[in-house]
Amino acid sequence: MPKTRVGVFVCHCGNNIGGVVRVPDVVEYARTLPNVTYAEDNLYTCSEEGLSSIKDQIAKEGLNRIVVASCTPRTHEPLFKKACEEAGLNKYLFEFVNIREHCSWVHMHDPAMATQKAKELVRMGVAKAVHLEPQEEFESDVFPAALVIGGGVAGMSAALALANQGIQVHLVEREQELGGLIRGVQTLFPTEQDTDELLRPLAERVKAHPQISVFLGSEVESVSGFIGDFDVSVRTDGEVEGLRVGTIVVATGAEELKPVGLYRYGELPNVVTQLEFEEQFKSGGDVPRSVAIINCVGARIPQRTYCGRFCCATAIKNAIWMMERDPEARVYVLHRDVMAYGVEIEEFYQRAMELGVRFLRYDVESPPEVLGEDRAKAVKVQHQLMGKEVTLPVDMVVLTTPLVARDDNGKLSKMLKVPLGSEGFFLEAHLKLRPIEFSTDGVYVCGAARYPSNIPESVSQAYAAAAKASIPIREGLVRVEAITAVCDERTCSACGNCVEACPFGAVELQQGRFGRTAYVNTALCKGCGCCVAACPSGAMQQRGFSDRQVLSMIGALAEVMTGGVE
Amino acid sequence: METQSVLVIGGGIAGIQASIDLANMGFEVYLVEETPSIGGRMAQLDKTFPTNDCAMCILAPKMIECAGHERVHLLTYCDVVELDGTAGDFRVTVRRKPRYVDVEKCTGCGDCAQKCPRRVPDEFNVGLAKRKAAYLPFPQAVPRKMTIDAQSCLYLTKGRCRVCEETCQAGAIDFEQQEELVELEVGAIVLATGFDPFDPGSLKEYGYGGIDNVITGLEYERLICASGPTGGHLKRPSDGQVPRVIAFIQCVGSRDVNYQPYCSSVCCMHATKEAILANEHYPELKSFIFYTDMRAVGKQFQEYIIRAREEYGVGYIRSRPGKITENEETGNPVVWYDETIYSDAGDPERRVASMEVDLVVLCQALVPHSVHAETAEKLGLILDGSGFVSIGDRLFRPVDTSVPGIFACGFCQGPQDIPDSVIQASAAAARVAEILAKKSKELEHA
Amino acid sequence: MVSSSDSLGNGFEPKILVFACNWCSYAGADLAGVSRLQMPPNCRVVRVMCSARVRPEFVITALSKGLDGVLVLGCHPGDCHYSEGNYFTRRRGLLLRKLLEYVGIEPERFQVRWVSASEGAKFAETVERVTEQIRALGPNRPRSEVLPTEPGDK
Repeated sequence: MPKTRVGVFVCHCGNNIGGVVRVPDVVEYARTLPNVTYAEDNLYTCSEEGLSSIKDQIAKEGLNRIVVASCTPRTHEPLFKKACEEAGLNKYLFEFVNIREHCSWVHMHDPAMATQKAKELVRMGVAKAVHLEPQEEFESDVFPAALVIGGGVAGMSAALALANQGIQVHLVEREQELGGLIRGVQTLFPTEQDTDELLRPLAERVKAHPQISVFLGSEVESVSGFIGDFDVSVRTDGEVEGLRVGTIVVATGAEELKPVGLYRYGELPNVVTQLEFEEQFKSGGDVPRSVAIINCVGARIPQRTYCGRFCCATAIKNAIWMMERDPEARVYVLHRDVMAYGVEIEEFYQRAMELGVRFLRYDVESPPEVLGEDRAKAVKVQHQLMGKEVTLPVDMVVLTTPLVARDDNGKLSKMLKVPLGSEGFFLEAHLKLRPIEFSTDGVYVCGAARYPSNIPESVSQAYAAAAKASIPIREGLVRVEAITAVCDERTCSACGNCVEACPFGAVELQQGRFGRTAYVNTALCKGCGCCVAACPSGAMQQRGFSDRQVLSMIGALAEVMTGGVE
Repeated sequence: METQSVLVIGGGIAGIQASIDLANMGFEVYLVEETPSIGGRMAQLDKTFPTNDCAMCILAPKMIECAGHERVHLLTYCDVVELDGTAGDFRVTVRRKPRYVDVEKCTGCGDCAQKCPRRVPDEFNVGLAKRKAAYLPFPQAVPRKMTIDAQSCLYLTKGRCRVCEETCQAGAIDFEQQEELVELEVGAIVLATGFDPFDPGSLKEYGYGGIDNVITGLEYERLICASGPTGGHLKRPSDGQVPRVIAFIQCVGSRDVNYQPYCSSVCCMHATKEAILANEHYPELKSFIFYTDMRAVGKQFQEYIIRAREEYGVGYIRSRPGKITENEETGNPVVWYDETIYSDAGDPERRVASMEVDLVVLCQALVPHSVHAETAEKLGLILDGSGFVSIGDRLFRPVDTSVPGIFACGFCQGPQDIPDSVIQASAAAARVAEILAKKSKELEHA
Repeated sequence: MVSSSDSLGNGFEPKILVFACNWCSYAGADLAGVSRLQMPPNCRVVRVMCSARVRPEFVITALSKGLDGVLVLGCHPGDCHYSEGNYFTRRRGLLLRKLLEYVGIEPERFQVRWVSASEGAKFAETVERVTEQIRALGPNRPRSEVLPTEPGDK
């Protein structure tokens, strides 16, 4: 067993450390510490000179642990680790001590105490370094194929974006044809083109693509595995096929809310939703003469607080459609805020007003009332801006409802081990910076499955999901920083605390050589240490932050008080 | 010549995300940023809606990841001067502006800035504080290298001083440094040049510039930020007092035929966030948001508004104020507006109301970044009437510009928030991969 | 004992162990440094990836070996880089304080605080405040009862 030989490099950082901390004293002190074979000071340890010195001394002095006392590991750790590697020393045998941000810069008026503190911090760093062990970064192969669940606009776009990179894609769609939700839409905002004109070529491209295998009338039955290596079974007409993929994209979309019980929907024949309006009238029926469109039906209410995002645009689109076909038509849009955000939608809103569409604002406390016996004849509403009640004679009432999450999202979420949000849509890893990823690695989400979004937004998300899903496949492997948790099966009692504590589902109980014990899936482990602290027996440890290493730092600091520091 | 390199223009969150994704996908990325540090507008924010995450806390790891990636080459304090070629084969000339600091030697310790005698308005703090001529734009700047601003430096303008040179122990100051031109060959380009706040000074009726206690949204953001010029203490300009009542005015210069006709998308949520932060810092503080439509369309956005109303007592008044005057004695701004919503039926008389407050925050329009038009010209891009990068096929190619091989993500192509910008950035990365895969296939079969 | 007085030789200077999580509080501490916010020199920071890594054993060992206080810093609830880690920290913290009380150690010697990466000032304030609180408690009893031993004795 080679003796532990620690090298300590203390940085002046110009004047930044050296101007307050008596660096030579710290070097002297370091030399007295157990296991320290070599210590020196540098003007700038991060400079070419400093790094060369580290490498030289590793060779000359046979150093097998390196401690650098300088600035912050958050910026410079990779640099020093690389230097160690270049000198043939495993980069996990390196420890960083912060004596600038945490010492010289914050105790500028007390050089004596700052020097004392620097010595103690170095003592702690050396104590930990002694217990560091060489580590290899975990690498796991990635199977070069992706699964896209859902063949609507988002699913098709994601599949094409992946396939065009040369990646094999399996696209699983529950219906007998591709297209998803927008098959029911006649014309698309903002181009007002015929949906079929745009959708058909997209579906053709998907079906014709040599890298995409399409499963129609099919559903995903089960998923096991983890990033790089998922086993998926797909059921079509009672037959089950097994697929192996590296990454998965969820593009299962959503459904239009059918507002039974609201505004006499389901009771009166001429009270319809936007999709029903599209199906009935935009394929060739007569345009009704006067129409009231009621927005925020079943949305932005206590029972369903979210906003459907693009439904205002849909209402405006259909209002314009009606006015263009019949300039004499009377179209009213009853709203609670017009969500015409951005450039195009706001332009569209202006255009609608210019064409003569009337926008009436109502309050959620006094919703409109649909009047009529066996048909809707009029809508009575408290006009919020006029301050009075108006009654609008209508031939038809169109209810603008939001998209709602599919009922079986729960089933898929359990299969994939990904969470659902409070609205029932899939919940991404981070609302701001990781909007189409999940906490679970290797699974991504796009389109209405995540939250209502219009076509440009869904397509952007699909491309984004494809980019993310392609990364592990293009890399060919998944590499994990070696600060992961590892369980010593000999002392594990399978209490299961770790399984529960892990925010990433990376720990499982498995049958092993010593019976049932905890097992960490290194590919999924993020190195937080939650499971380690939850382990009552100390069987679970974290590489680079083990109990022994931390306790040695505590011991080293405590020793200072009993043994004294010169 | 066909290469697997990509140029990203703009180092804000969109540019950073695109760079990280592209680098992870195996491409060499050149990230050009005109200021000395990446980070962009998000670095100037205190918190982000609707999570109220600390902006810098979630941005800094991304900045470090981007800069530390072996395939990302940061070109900060640089701009694009020439562009030639087509998709798969672009030749770009990038100008490296002289920092007068040798980045190989500079450790970012800041000694030069400490000693520099020249103070100028700090852009990062939107003029609310001063910085030195030798400076780091903000504490978490990446790369952590000092820059000497040639317009302000005493030596470079008047031939005096050079204290920084004496002070620097690493010998990193180099007044002989020249502008450098860097030639790059890239297969695709991603534009992510972001936005600028619109100057509300032209709206004379609101008194910005004349009334001390009328400030902009971005100025407010810096005041409330813990690492801003007042350490997060909301001190109003005229007397440093903490306001008891704040009025936020929406759509200042947006949805306005005289200025920008479009909706800037993020200001309703931004104002709500600012009102929440004000109340968090000062529980007695009352905020009113004067709005036209409360556009909270994203995930968890409506819930955020509900929280603002119920937990933080934020008042929402539907009105676009016509004028702001000043109570000369107290310095309090007075907001004049129509009460557009009536709680009693049968009372159609339009009432004019006024509210005297301690501070007014103008939520100004956000416009495509100023040098964007020049860049667009060099790249041959079509811009729309408002200056945004025109996207030909909005529906199915939402990040493709008018020039094949050039993609645009984030605010430069349309008003949008951080999640949407980040999504478009990743989308641009996917499009780049498609184009470059196609190109290499074409060459294979050529 | 050298460490029981400051450089001027006056009074008792507590020695406080601080656990700071990599993503938030350690970064906040760095920012305090970058901003040159001056603070008492009594704290010694140990970096962990998440505050949830801190097991009660660390705190108990530190206090039983005579350190005067332990401060655990994490991200604000809801902001944990690992989603839930700081919730564990919070819960453990509450239980541990009760345990310390039970065994006769002043619970104020162990504190849990939330400091985000942009809260340099809050880090400095926290260090000041906690140092003062622990200074007011006096030296940790086990320490004053410990006889001088060989250096390096664990």
